[in-house]
Amino acid sequence: MKIRFWGVRGSFAMTGRDFLRYGGNTTSVELVTDAGERLLIDLGTGATELAKQLMAAEFGGGKGKLPILLTHTHLDHIQGLPFFTPFFIKGNEIRILGANPTLGSSLEATLQNQLSPHYSPLNGLENLAAGVSIEAITAGEAIAVPGFEILTAAVPHGSMWTTAYRITADGKTVAYLSDVEYPSIDAPLESALALARDADLVIHDAMHADHDYELRRGWGHSPARAGVVVAEQAGAKKLALFHHSPDATDDMIDEVVARTAARSAVPVFAAAEGSYLEV
Amino acid sequence: MQITFWGVRGSYPVPGAATVRYGGQTSCVEVRAAAGEALIVDAGTGMRALGNKLLQEATQAQHHHVLLSHVHWDHIQGLPFFSPVYIAGTRVSIYALLTAADELHQVIGGITRHEFFPMSLEAVPAQFEFHQVEPGVDFDIGAFHVMPIALNHPFGSVGYRVDADGSSWAYIADTAPFDRVLHKQHFLAGPEALSEDDRLALGAMRDALILRLQGVDTVVYDTHFTEEEYRRFPHYGHSTPDQALEICVAARVRRLVLYHHAPSHGDDQMDRLAAEYLRKGAGVGVEVLTSFEGMTLPIGPDAERQLA
Repeated sequence: MKIRFWGVRGSFAMTGRDFLRYGGNTTSVELVTDAGERLLIDLGTGATELAKQLMAAEFGGGKGKLPILLTHTHLDHIQGLPFFTPFFIKGNEIRILGANPTLGSSLEATLQNQLSPHYSPLNGLENLAAGVSIEAITAGEAIAVPGFEILTAAVPHGSMWTTAYRITADGKTVAYLSDVEYPSIDAPLESALALARDADLVIHDAMHADHDYELRRGWGHSPARAGVVVAEQAGAKKLALFHHSPDATDDMIDEVVARTAARSAVPVFAAAEGSYLEV
Repeated sequence: MQITFWGVRGSYPVPGAATVRYGGQTSCVEVRAAAGEALIVDAGTGMRALGNKLLQEATQAQHHHVLLSHVHWDHIQGLPFFSPVYIAGTRVSIYALLTAADELHQVIGGITRHEFFPMSLEAVPAQFEFHQVEPGVDFDIGAFHVMPIALNHPFGSVGYRVDADGSSWAYIADTAPFDRVLHKQHFLAGPEALSEDDRLALGAMRDALILRLQGVDTVVYDTHFTEEEYRRFPHYGHSTPDQALEICVAARVRRLVLYHHAPSHGDDQMDRLAAEYLRKGAGVGVEVLTSFEGMTLPIGPDAERQLA
């Protein structure tokens, strides 16, 4: 299984020279099996870059199939939806899977609202030319997607819950824990540890540098250290710091990685926009 | 009066090496009168950096006035990240074209519903006020005289002419040209045939725009598309530099600023467009500049005095 980070930034897309090495696009991560089956997690602005590549291949001719998992519908995770060009080609089949928002309303109503005529000229999901299915999932249950085995769990994110994923293909496992804050950094939730158990790669929310965390406790995001605790306790092989703060320049992320790695038994790197990596 | 561009991109923010020089954040322009009064036009993602700057400068909570051209995501997405709204005592007055100020309140509140954002508009410390604007009905905000102008964009959009300190500029985004497609209140999968009434409506919109732009020093215009792109997407609601230039020549505008750059137009292509239209504009007596993030323009006619 290969992985490519198309967007690694949290909250807000960052442009300019200070964000070139890690990238400024908001979250979107692609997984591809050895047989070529594809899965996308989150539809941040990074998805617009993937869209160009997909359109140059089978999606341009209306022959593409793509399942997309959403962690939740905060804007930085769905901002790329109206500009994800495979939606505009008839024949493409795109599934969007995610839990209904915690405080009520449905996944479908939320995405419809994003495309309401006030906010978008698309004026509703029904005007997307591709075949689009919105599938509400229940966090905690397994999901069937061709080529991938997927387990899910609800994890706390401020006053709400997001969905975390454990994705296995070709004998390799990736755990995706973005937008999460545990009640205690030193005692991550059992549900999160279960998803990360013996994973080849754990992708973890690292919005805050450890020394910035105290002021931002309760905002729904983790300090870099939280991912280390999860990866170590779960016996994972590698940790990717993810969902970088919009205030974190390339140099600042370098520093966070160095400090975090110095206190981690598991190899650590910061997720960066770039090329396909073998898991 | 002077204007500063905080976001010049259309549709969505574009990070990366290709947008380092012109900038990747979406629509947001800061306006300053000579006495220091400020106005913000559009609340795209460029508004985040503007907010951080305003907060640094301020010694006390401010009253911010924000004119919105319309409420598509790329023109409002910066609002929840405008840091002054998290300071108690801050006031934000929002002006937009909608059927009622109450509806505007709901639409702006809608972008911070729990599904989209962690903090609702009601929970934000700043106080918000909503004002409905109507094309042709002028109003004043402090030193600024504001004239809303109807534009041709899906579900409606409004441009603004702003006069202050004996100088004037206009913000004309987002808009399609006024010949091929009339945008209404429904989704367009492609250009629709125009009725005679549609043609009359387009002609009237163009005439009103040109009338309002008479004598304006600087016009910032939606020039999202190249000519070739426009031919493929005439129903997307955006213009080209040639179409903008044609309007500016008709209104005898001194200076045109290209704005709302397509996400796919990287810095090198923007350089070529900037050079091409600087030359074309010179041929018809209009100075054509290409906006970039951080660009500040003194607005004539008394530009030299203000610079000093």
